Amino acid sequence: MKEIKGIKMDFNFSEQQNMLRNEARRFLTKECPKTKVKELEKDEKGYDLQMWRNMADMGWMGLVLPEEYGGLNADFIDLMVLMEEMGRNILPGPFFSTVALCALPLLEYGNDVQKVGYLPQIARGEKIWTVAMTESSGNYRASAIKAEAKLEDGEYVLNGDKFFVSYANVADYLLVIARTAKSKAPKKGLTFFIVDAKNPGIHIETIPTLTGEKQCKVSFKKVKIPRKDILGKVGQGWEMAEHIMRKATVLKCAEVSGACQAILDMANTYAKERIQFGKPIGSFQVIQHQLVDMLIDVEGLQYLVYQAAWLISTGAPCDLQIAMTKAKANEVYRRIALSGIKIHGAIGFTMDHDIGLYYRRVLGAESVLGDTDLHLEKVAANIGL
Amino acid sequence: MDFKLGEKEDALREEIRRFAKAEIPPDFIYNFLDEESRDEDWAFTMSISKKLAQKGWLVMAWPKKYGGQEASYLEQMVMAMEATYWGIPGLGMGISGTAWVGPSLMLYGSEEQRQKYLPSIASGDPDGVWCTGYSEPNAGSDFANIQTRAIREGDEYVVNGQKVWTSCAHRARWCWIAVVTDPNAAKRQHGISLLIVDMKSPGITIRPLLNYSGVHIFNEVFFDNVRVPTANLVGQENRGWYQLMQSLAYERHSVGAQTYGAGKRMLESLVEYAVETKEDGVSLSQNAVIRHKLAERAIELETLKMLSYEIAWKMSQGVIPIYEASRNKAYGDCLQERMANTGTEILGAYSQIDQNSRFAKLKGAIQHLYLLFPGITIAAGTDEIEKNIIGQFKLGLPKSY
Repeated sequence: MKEIKGIKMDFNFSEQQNMLRNEARRFLTKECPKTKVKELEKDEKGYDLQMWRNMADMGWMGLVLPEEYGGLNADFIDLMVLMEEMGRNILPGPFFSTVALCALPLLEYGNDVQKVGYLPQIARGEKIWTVAMTESSGNYRASAIKAEAKLEDGEYVLNGDKFFVSYANVADYLLVIARTAKSKAPKKGLTFFIVDAKNPGIHIETIPTLTGEKQCKVSFKKVKIPRKDILGKVGQGWEMAEHIMRKATVLKCAEVSGACQAILDMANTYAKERIQFGKPIGSFQVIQHQLVDMLIDVEGLQYLVYQAAWLISTGAPCDLQIAMTKAKANEVYRRIALSGIKIHGAIGFTMDHDIGLYYRRVLGAESVLGDTDLHLEKVAANIGL
Repeated sequence: MDFKLGEKEDALREEIRRFAKAEIPPDFIYNFLDEESRDEDWAFTMSISKKLAQKGWLVMAWPKKYGGQEASYLEQMVMAMEATYWGIPGLGMGISGTAWVGPSLMLYGSEEQRQKYLPSIASGDPDGVWCTGYSEPNAGSDFANIQTRAIREGDEYVVNGQKVWTSCAHRARWCWIAVVTDPNAAKRQHGISLLIVDMKSPGITIRPLLNYSGVHIFNEVFFDNVRVPTANLVGQENRGWYQLMQSLAYERHSVGAQTYGAGKRMLESLVEYAVETKEDGVSLSQNAVIRHKLAERAIELETLKMLSYEIAWKMSQGVIPIYEASRNKAYGDCLQERMANTGTEILGAYSQIDQNSRFAKLKGAIQHLYLLFPGITIAAGTDEIEKNIIGQFKLGLPKSY
């Protein structure tokens, strides 16, 4: 970047971030074409093991982990860049659940034994993780968590059902949040546990979705958990959950921003190629203005995502900006996916075309980590209402 | 990546706040553009222009030798945001002088013109008030269709024609005007020139055009054999179109920042109003519909803030922001429309009350925005034209008009 005296602001990505973006785009374009995405929608596991291993070899699973755990010690913004590319291309599989929802909390809240035990495995791509937080309501409020873990003879015994647990069908470990103490305040008395997915008391059922992503119902019946498998502190689960969700939400929004950019690019290309009335449909103002509206939406979303990621990387408080970003991502993704299909016309409505893959995924991205209403409510509470 | 403003910008922000507290009476409410209408508002505005000049803020971006401070684009952005946030009038000197006449003279004007015209703008002098003669009855969005003719006779041009929607013509000392100097040019754009016209010249008639709320902002201006010295030609004859397009793109950059500042203030007022206003003992701020509407507006403002930061940063890197300026104008217009709609919906029956009535809420600011924003979406390029520009220059789509 050109050095300008006295200016600290910088909208540029670093050289390293640009390299990572290029590497990710090359890899995903080649290894994960849309034919593969469609194939994996029908696959029971929902991800490609060889692709997963290759990603681990490139260091993606351990991107932001310290070197001592087999990671590359990269910045949160680097991970955001990677998520943008995964969203752009559509990468099916448990990367988000393993890295964003589990590796980051393990790094922050795990004790030395847990970190040494689990993080290098994640970095090497050997183990898949997911978080079991939401229950039958599907929402992200503390009051929705009913699963209970009772201390009996020095061990916790976990009972309850979790819903919308992504990729539990292939997970080796689950991070489960449950009630360990009764309290009138729903945010109190919650604790996180590390649970081996092969525990005999666990039953996992894959819920068919129209997004192509795997969602599961996970039932816990008298699942015994030793105290050593508590993550963080007993009773501090909700604070941890909020912290986990902050980072994960920004990463999910990055995935959405990448997807939105991809839709815009596809629609813009198509508008220049498709001839009707003897000219490209992109020469008509109705189409142009739709594309411009999409562009303004995408660029606005991108800058909110980048700002939120930057705030997180500096450690500054940013609950307001994160809530704004998720609400915006939800609204923008819906609008752009629909406009993308409309510009394509009937071909956009077919399985042969790729744009419908994004349109279907809107619904998963929108509800995960809080729907629009939840985040608008957070924004309202943060601006003095 | 780093989105933080520097210490310099933070200090400037604080200084502007102090200036506003000291110079702007607490009951004053700045209704953008309305200051051109009533004499007492205009006098107050010009008194503030003078004080802004003394602070070095009126033309802060200009080179020091022309009375400026060589302020960075980020400082200019902070000024645009804070001045509208605090409701400080007078930064425009009308709407032309500080924003584009000065910068264009620096780009294309002769040294003699710079010496003659820049000091009065920079000092906030009444002689530094300009109006701009671009639009005509048959040249709105199709600006190249102007008909006002300038014919050279010796060392003078003789100007005949009509301009319309000319803001501030009734206050201006000078007119920055686009005229046809070669009606036979193969392309219309190749026959246009820029002139400086003394508004005191014989042959000029100004007819007020009241807007639909009775406010006198713009005018029709008629030119009947107005004689203009050839020394008042800006740049090259028949190159006016290109000079003007480049300077326009360059000077539109702060529109988004201005909208952000004003919008932020309005959102804060509406939040305060919603908290304080009770219905059946329950504050409006407890109403989920109102909460969500205001949250949406807050998100749009945050988006506009980032888009404004981006433009200022790009310009600091030497980029001429063609599509970005159009993008921010279009997005800012949309934001104002939504803010006005949300505001009037929250005020309910009170939104119909005259701004100056003692019954008006929030000093009539919401009504003012409601009445203003349709004009704003048209002025300086309609949203549709802005979107055409973005489609063409950013998305690479065929020219559509």
